[in-house]
Amino acid sequence: MDRTPDEPSDTPGAVSRRPLMIGAALAAAPLAPPGIAAPARAQDAGDGRLRVNLTVNGEARQLSLDPRASLLDTLREGLALTGAKKGCDHGQCGACTVHLDGRRVASCLTLAVQADGRAVTTIEGVAREDDELHPMQQAFIDHDALQCGYCTPGQIMAAIALVREGRAGSAEEIREYMSGNLCRCGAYAGILAAIQDAAPKMRGA
Amino acid sequence: MSDTSFPDAPRADAQDKVRGALRYAADDARPGMAHAALAVAAVARGTVWRIDAAAARAVPGVRLVLTHEDLGGVKPPGFIMGGGYGFQSIQPLTSPQVAYRGQPIALVVADSPEAAAEGARLVRADLAAEPHQVTLDTPEADIVAQADSPLPKPMFADVTVGDAAAALADAAIRIEAEFRHPAQHQSPIEMLSTVAEWRDGHLTVQEGTQNAEAIRHGLARQLEIEPARITVLSPSAGGGFGQKNSLQAHTVLAAEAARRLERPVKLVVSRAQVFHGGSFRPASRHRIRLGADAEGRMTALVHETDSQTSRHDLFPTQYTELSSRLYGIGNFRGRERLVRNDVQTPGYMRAPYEHPAAFAVESCVDELAYRLGRDPVALRLANDAAADPVTGRPYSSRHLAECLRRGAARFGWERRSMAPGSMRAADGALVGWGVAIGAYKAATAPAVARLRLLDDGTVTLGVGGHEMGQGMRTAIAAVLQRRLGVDPGRITVEIGSTGATPQHLTAGSWGTATVVPATDEACDALLRALDALPASRTPAERLRAAGRAFLEVEVSRRAPGQPEAVIGRLATGLPAAAGPAYPEFVSFSHVAHFVEVRVEPTTCRIRVPRIVSVADCGRVVSPRTAASQLRGGVVWGIGAALREVSEVDPRHGGFLNADLAEYVLPVHADIGTIEVEFVDEPDPRLNRPGVKGLGEVAMVGVAPAIANAVHHATGKRLRSLPIRVEDLL
Repeated sequence: MDRTPDEPSDTPGAVSRRPLMIGAALAAAPLAPPGIAAPARAQDAGDGRLRVNLTVNGEARQLSLDPRASLLDTLREGLALTGAKKGCDHGQCGACTVHLDGRRVASCLTLAVQADGRAVTTIEGVAREDDELHPMQQAFIDHDALQCGYCTPGQIMAAIALVREGRAGSAEEIREYMSGNLCRCGAYAGILAAIQDAAPKMRGA
Repeated sequence: MSDTSFPDAPRADAQDKVRGALRYAADDARPGMAHAALAVAAVARGTVWRIDAAAARAVPGVRLVLTHEDLGGVKPPGFIMGGGYGFQSIQPLTSPQVAYRGQPIALVVADSPEAAAEGARLVRADLAAEPHQVTLDTPEADIVAQADSPLPKPMFADVTVGDAAAALADAAIRIEAEFRHPAQHQSPIEMLSTVAEWRDGHLTVQEGTQNAEAIRHGLARQLEIEPARITVLSPSAGGGFGQKNSLQAHTVLAAEAARRLERPVKLVVSRAQVFHGGSFRPASRHRIRLGADAEGRMTALVHETDSQTSRHDLFPTQYTELSSRLYGIGNFRGRERLVRNDVQTPGYMRAPYEHPAAFAVESCVDELAYRLGRDPVALRLANDAAADPVTGRPYSSRHLAECLRRGAARFGWERRSMAPGSMRAADGALVGWGVAIGAYKAATAPAVARLRLLDDGTVTLGVGGHEMGQGMRTAIAAVLQRRLGVDPGRITVEIGSTGATPQHLTAGSWGTATVVPATDEACDALLRALDALPASRTPAERLRAAGRAFLEVEVSRRAPGQPEAVIGRLATGLPAAAGPAYPEFVSFSHVAHFVEVRVEPTTCRIRVPRIVSVADCGRVVSPRTAASQLRGGVVWGIGAALREVSEVDPRHGGFLNADLAEYVLPVHADIGTIEVEFVDEPDPRLNRPGVKGLGEVAMVGVAPAIANAVHHATGKRLRSLPIRVEDLL
């Protein structure tokens, strides 16, 4: 088979990706330099797998990983942390957004071995079970900033990071810096309102 | 219960959703889970004459490869619009025939997702390609007049009212135009995904769906086992929008792999493959002829359509259901044709017929307003219908004029100047204000509701319906809270999974009007049963006083005029909804959209800073989730008008931009202010709570309102979606 529709990158006549998406993707992917060095630290377990040490939601985890495994699949299938969602597996939708050393990344585009020695925070780590909700989570409820809920963990992780990045200054800025996170149900107005509500509470906390 | 408005209340499952705790089908992550991936055909039509899976089988961790050579025995599901359960009639991997590019040709199952993906990439297939066609511009032989087709009548007969040809000939003003709508994909963010597992001969399938019962009965047909041996779990779907309305082609493959491997199998269809693995909105072409007298009374409308279907199925269309009933036009002729293409069978995508039809009709009505020099809102109000023009029956309720009046006031429509290009923003941008209306049938499906009250005061309600983000759980909880005085925290709503009550397809905006009246009647039955018990302060206390651990009631409800036999269809997973025409009346929801666009004069970039939408969906049971659903429908309209197109190259077939970077969905930065409002008048003729549907009507009319606003800004009539910068240069 020379080419399948599963490989869209070289598709003839493909329309161009919007600059908006590229801007958002760049903003969401500041991990690269340390990530490149990471595999050198990961130890080969001798069976083709790599031993890595992650801190996930504050807990130290030692894992033996397929070097091809994405951080997203590792979190979901290996650690049963299924809050981060797979919506495209290509870094195009944002549903898999998690924090790596406090910065938002698309976990589907991050190899798990790149996270060796680093701290990963997922939606499950934002407020532990039975803990009080994070102000951003509460604001998402108050403004009904969700419908089906599938993109919501990614939206919330992106929103928390956006406030920390100092990008919640205006509605326009929030819209721009949230544009890497798609919501097909169209809850954008609610998400904007939630971020505007939660941002001052986060700064005050 | 319809006397007063319902209070604002949070979404029932919002806590779990913001914590990431809500479990969707693919969130089942257990040791021992096998992972599957599909290999797909790279020709638009042809035959697999050799398939080589040796390299795939040699990948460490690969446990199973299925192709048409070894699937064996699996039967086709039947087409959902032809008495079956599948989104299309054919089942991939049951023959060497390839009907469309992207059709699965192998399933690879492995211990890890990485090994499965690698294996799928290594499947080698030699395909003999055959000629194909994938556009509406096809030879006449491939065009099927729906009226002459085997599709059931009168449902899919052409609509004729009065004498449109004569009225058109007599008309003082005639508008003629052709409109084009591209193929589009539903693209819920949760991809098609299934976890299948067998235990003691019983198959359990987890899959986000709008139609759990069709998956169950369809799999029973495909695997030739009793439906009682299958359970389908779908408590929550990550969006559906019509794509998840039936049995998908991948599901039986996961089930068969799980049977052979004797372990659970998870199959998440990749995003690129979803573009070919499920249905899509067919490309369509609409020719409109609209006639009016000199005073602006619309007297004739002819609406002729061509719409894509597949080579193997006739996906029927009902574009003229909207155009024949949107206004009180006495002479109407519709003609709907289907164009056979080498694609997977197209299907339903939010407002499947109504959105493209409204784009065509409402663009022409705007053009008529300009020919007459008449305000577009006033022209619409003057042509409102007093009764259904097709049957002559009264509407159960119709508050379209109210939607227009309220919307115009809230938007500030009276400040609009009529002439195109006459309004400018301070930054020099061209400002355009446009209006359009929409309608969507208020359908109803039969339902069985089972309500159980425990002596601790908790309540469990089971009914046929699926939660895919529209807020069905929240609406049901609102009814239970009002009727039984029970706190939301003590309510459990069981929907979307087979085994308890039958799970009818949730689509066509009939969800709320199906489950809310059934829940309401179940409350009646429970309260009657409680009356037989000793009096006490609360229902739970009455139970305890009577020494009863629980009280359970079950009610069965049909749409107005439906025969008893429809319950049989419900029980076997077949579509059984009725409407918009009921024996005594005709029911529609209505909406009016007011749009502001700004066109940057040098780049011609179109922005939509502001929309006001007012809807009549009967009584609003869950105000907060309804407002979100209306806003979401408006976002869909913006996407359809300005962004979304599934690109086709006739040389290659399939869809070219099969990912979420190049199939351009609306993003945060595309969306400005969306103000929504509801008439909130109950429609007690349709059902006692007075609810109609909302999810689809929300989108209908947004695209023409945008196109009309673009015309107001620029003077250009654009009749092909999506509207792009190059159309204005």
